[in-house]
Amino acid sequence: MAHVVLRNLVKTYGPHTAVNNVSLTVNDGEFVALVGPSGCGKTTTLNLVAGLIPITSGDISIGDRVVNDVDPKNRDIAMVFQNYALYPQKTVYKNLAFPLQMRRLPRDEIDRKVKEAARVLDMTHLLERKPRELSGGQQQRVALGRALVRDPAVFLMDEPLSNLDAKLRVQMRSEIKRFHQDLEATIIYVTHDQLEAVTMADKMAVMNGGFLQQYDSPAQVFNHPVNMFVASFIGSPAMSLIPLEASSANGRTVLTGEEGWSIELSPHNARKVERSTTKKVVLGARHSTIKLSTSPVPGAIPAKAYTVEPTGDITFVQALLSGAVVNISVPPTMPVAPDQPIWLEFDQERMHLFDGATEMALEAD
Amino acid sequence: MTSMPSNVATRPRKSIDGWRWVGRLFLALMLFYTAVPMIWMLITSIKSGFAAMQFPPQWWPNEPTLASYYKLLDPTSSVGNDFLRFFWNSLFVSVSTTILAVIVAVPAAYAFSRFDFPGRKFLFFTVLLRNMFPAVIFLVPLFILMRLLGLVNTHGSLVLTYLTFGLPLAIWLLKGFYDNIPHQLEQAARIDGASRFQAFILIVMPLSAPGIIATAIYSFIGAWNEYIFAYTFLNKNDQLTLPIGIQRFFSENTTDFPGLMAASFMMSVPVVVLFLLLQRYFVRALTEGAVKH
Repeated sequence: MAHVVLRNLVKTYGPHTAVNNVSLTVNDGEFVALVGPSGCGKTTTLNLVAGLIPITSGDISIGDRVVNDVDPKNRDIAMVFQNYALYPQKTVYKNLAFPLQMRRLPRDEIDRKVKEAARVLDMTHLLERKPRELSGGQQQRVALGRALVRDPAVFLMDEPLSNLDAKLRVQMRSEIKRFHQDLEATIIYVTHDQLEAVTMADKMAVMNGGFLQQYDSPAQVFNHPVNMFVASFIGSPAMSLIPLEASSANGRTVLTGEEGWSIELSPHNARKVERSTTKKVVLGARHSTIKLSTSPVPGAIPAKAYTVEPTGDITFVQALLSGAVVNISVPPTMPVAPDQPIWLEFDQERMHLFDGATEMALEAD
Repeated sequence: MTSMPSNVATRPRKSIDGWRWVGRLFLALMLFYTAVPMIWMLITSIKSGFAAMQFPPQWWPNEPTLASYYKLLDPTSSVGNDFLRFFWNSLFVSVSTTILAVIVAVPAAYAFSRFDFPGRKFLFFTVLLRNMFPAVIFLVPLFILMRLLGLVNTHGSLVLTYLTFGLPLAIWLLKGFYDNIPHQLEQAARIDGASRFQAFILIVMPLSAPGIIATAIYSFIGAWNEYIFAYTFLNKNDQLTLPIGIQRFFSENTTDFPGLMAASFMMSVPVVVLFLLLQRYFVRALTEGAVKH
């Protein structure tokens, strides 16, 4: 196992910059998820680490070695691809044996390692089959086996679960997590699914437009998003972002909505708003931090239920405030109907404030 | 579509059935059209020279004989000696063409499919450009070229010519194959410890085997059957290929029809055998890409 360091990594395709000055450190034994929408540069970053495409500038080190110009085969990495990339003409056994044969291991050792990997992944009975005779989940397992049989320094995984159906995905998610815990492997995992990143990773690197937006633990990213993109990308349903107008008078700071309502901010939040470059401030609130009442409450914001989505153990209510859709979760026992008047209260402790111009999170100090 | 009444839905099926019968009839006619001359060739080849000339013809020879075959395969007779040499010449030219076509087409097609190099599009279309003209147009220019190269009356002139005609399609066919092989397979192989070349040899080549086989069959048959260039480029008796050599059975006064037919039959044997052995791959190669896997 080894740590991986990216320093000022850049990859350009003609005028287009796919990866823009990305720097991050993956510690030994850490599970890091690269997460972002399609086209954000996360897969390109992974391919750069793998050495499948040449870097434009910057450095990549695996262990203590700079590998910028090292062939993929000499980087001591293993990769799991989105479409598994199993060799169709080879049996499962031969798929697993291929990386070992390429390293010229003695035949009996190859046999021992392949059988061990098959045992760990519970696919001993599949060894003589061809990949096309396997289900999606089994193929996925073989792909994982082919990576693990070699005992590489770093595992690279490119959306390994996105071709599986929902149920299998959840199952394989916990298996990969277990696999990481047992092996204490260094894993770089690319996904567009923020839930996968949040549930599996020790740290997540949120990317957008080729830039690294935030690199931190999932809890930290969830609770302290650095900008509006991260805030809206992480968490489901997404954090509601409401554009408001800030004003101060007589030592009180107030945010006013398009509809004319206003919230008086706590002193802590008021200090945050003072740092904004403009009067435009965006209020961010997760669904669980907004309190909904069906009768008037002093100081609460009047609104109207737009849609009501019961999911079973929780019901999501959506309302429109200042032109933004606001998500609120309520217990399923609460009777809310569409178009019904509702009153909303924001939790001052757990609300997020963003600069309306720079879209960056506002901090008190 | 869903709002269509159900009785309409049965009508297209009926017309498909009708078409299917028309199709079968067409196939039966085609089979008749192609098989009858072959059968007639076989029957004539086992007749005696006299029986072959009879009218009305004998549908089945009164005295079937393999004399023509013995004569052709007997290296001590002058006819047999010639025939075997022509056969060998044809085999040499065809096999050389096939091997060279595969050696050139495989890497060329792979490069067109995988690498982005300057002039790639232009080159690829010039490859096709040759196919826009009928082959005869090139007869005289190529003859002049071969004379300049000093290749007239050598088998090299034929191999070179057949390659110019066979390669474009071979490259085109194989490129389609490589386009269908996911890049990730090679990437996986390279990460698993293979060099780029090993990834190609160990992973991509076996997957494109049907395409390579189809290319090989195509080149072989093209070279084996070719007449006009062989007729133009070669005029020494000991270098002729089979299609030209067989012509020698025609003579002004008597034509040895059984001998001609026996030679024709033996000429078709390698092609038929090759095709029967490899038709599986050939069909797969030509329909590859038609369906998404």
